[in-house]
Amino acid sequence: MGVEFPIYENSHRSLKKAVLNLSTGGRIGQDAGKQSIVTALDNINFYFEEGARVGLLGHNGSGKTTLLRVLSGVYSPVRGELRVVGSIASLLDVSMGLDPDATGFENIYLRGILDGLNPAKIRSKIDEIADFSELGDYLNLPVRTYSSGMMLRLAFAISTSIEADIIIMDEWLSVGDAAFSAKAASRLESLVGKASILVVATHDPSLVARVCNRKLMLEHGRIISDEPVAAPVAA
Amino acid sequence: MNTLVTSDTHLSCDKNLANHNPSSDLLFGIGAYQVWGTLGWHDIKQRYRRSVLGPFWFTLSTLIMVVVLGLLYSQLLNQEISTYLPYLAVGLVVWQYLASAVNEGCAAFIGSAYLIKQIRLPLTVHVCRIAWRNFVILLHSLPVVILTLLVFGHWPTPEILLLPVALLILWLQGVWIGVALGILCARFRDIAPIVTNLVQVAFFFTPVMWSPEILKDRAWVADFNPLYHLIEIARGPIVGKPVLLVSWVWALGLLIVGFTFAQWLMNKYRNRVPYWL
Repeated sequence: MGVEFPIYENSHRSLKKAVLNLSTGGRIGQDAGKQSIVTALDNINFYFEEGARVGLLGHNGSGKTTLLRVLSGVYSPVRGELRVVGSIASLLDVSMGLDPDATGFENIYLRGILDGLNPAKIRSKIDEIADFSELGDYLNLPVRTYSSGMMLRLAFAISTSIEADIIIMDEWLSVGDAAFSAKAASRLESLVGKASILVVATHDPSLVARVCNRKLMLEHGRIISDEPVAAPVAA
Repeated sequence: MNTLVTSDTHLSCDKNLANHNPSSDLLFGIGAYQVWGTLGWHDIKQRYRRSVLGPFWFTLSTLIMVVVLGLLYSQLLNQEISTYLPYLAVGLVVWQYLASAVNEGCAAFIGSAYLIKQIRLPLTVHVCRIAWRNFVILLHSLPVVILTLLVFGHWPTPEILLLPVALLILWLQGVWIGVALGILCARFRDIAPIVTNLVQVAFFFTPVMWSPEILKDRAWVADFNPLYHLIEIARGPIVGKPVLLVSWVWALGLLIVGFTFAQWLMNKYRNRVPYWL
């Protein structure tokens, strides 16, 4: 599987260039062929079986997040194929789609709709999310009135309320003050526990050692190592 | 070259929206009425949050526009106001819908980039959301049209029964236009301003404020204008003109050609769109 991003500089993005190319029949064609391409992922092959807990490691820009986006179905591979069996929950950007002008409740509802849930199911979840986030009456206020900590709590509560076979995460999520953080950690762990596959991108080798049973190292969009992680020593 | 998502439905998702491919995007997207319906309605609520009249501002501003322009142009064009005002009202309301469907269609994917890059949904959902939002605005403006009719004592004729069909066709036109322009504009950022200009110019070439009768032997300007026929399929039933078969044929023909084009673009470029944003 490979992923390439065409980078359109101003001149390449315009229609003029394309039209001129048409009319001059390929003379400027070389120029169009020179458009820069970033190969974000190259020759990536893997199979994650049920029960896999995969940690993605690599420098900034090594392709971890791009790989996660491919797995979540946002980017389709330019070469090769991706086959996914099961439902996916991606916790890439938890505050995704939080509308600052809408209330907390509306945001919960909208997010549920985007996840493809039906209204009845969402309503049954609203209480649970409200309980967990401990935001109480604030949920009736627009999200823009929240402190950043409160906003994160809501975002976290919403995005961890879904159940899925496959969970995709960019960095292990942690939110809130000491008390909430512990609660959040246990919620996340139970979510991950119920999922059959976890893929998490991280910079933290100790996290990989703690939760993962397989580790992929990426560099310049290639897998440079793919090895099992020894089960953590029982504490 | 493909992303294949197969999912078992026993999980929380009733319909897995991620489970589409380029060729089924349009169908899945239009089918996800709960998603685009909610989002489109949310857009309307958002625009008029904290305002007293809310979406009825659409009604009021249409009313003002129709009355002022109606009085002015019925004088300028020497038209009988009792027939001119309803004529103008339908024209303006449908035109507003078509113009915003086209203009906002250009930004359909660019504007939803934050969602497209986060969550896998049929791209058509983002277009349907815009078409639906504009359609709701259209529905809020229609009472003005009915009002202009009643004020001058015109009562609806049986042709009014065709109105829902006309409205459905108009909504569907918004969908294919948005898909086609959305894809083209995501790739070529110059197309949006070009389209905006064309829409502005087209307004004067389309019989919205004037009726095609005054064209005399240049009537082909209207006859070959698909926008005119789109307005006409709604105008006919409302003002009680006998069914104009030509206009319906044009409207349906445009729908078929348009969706074929949109489907072709989807097949070819659906998977490229997220990379362009």
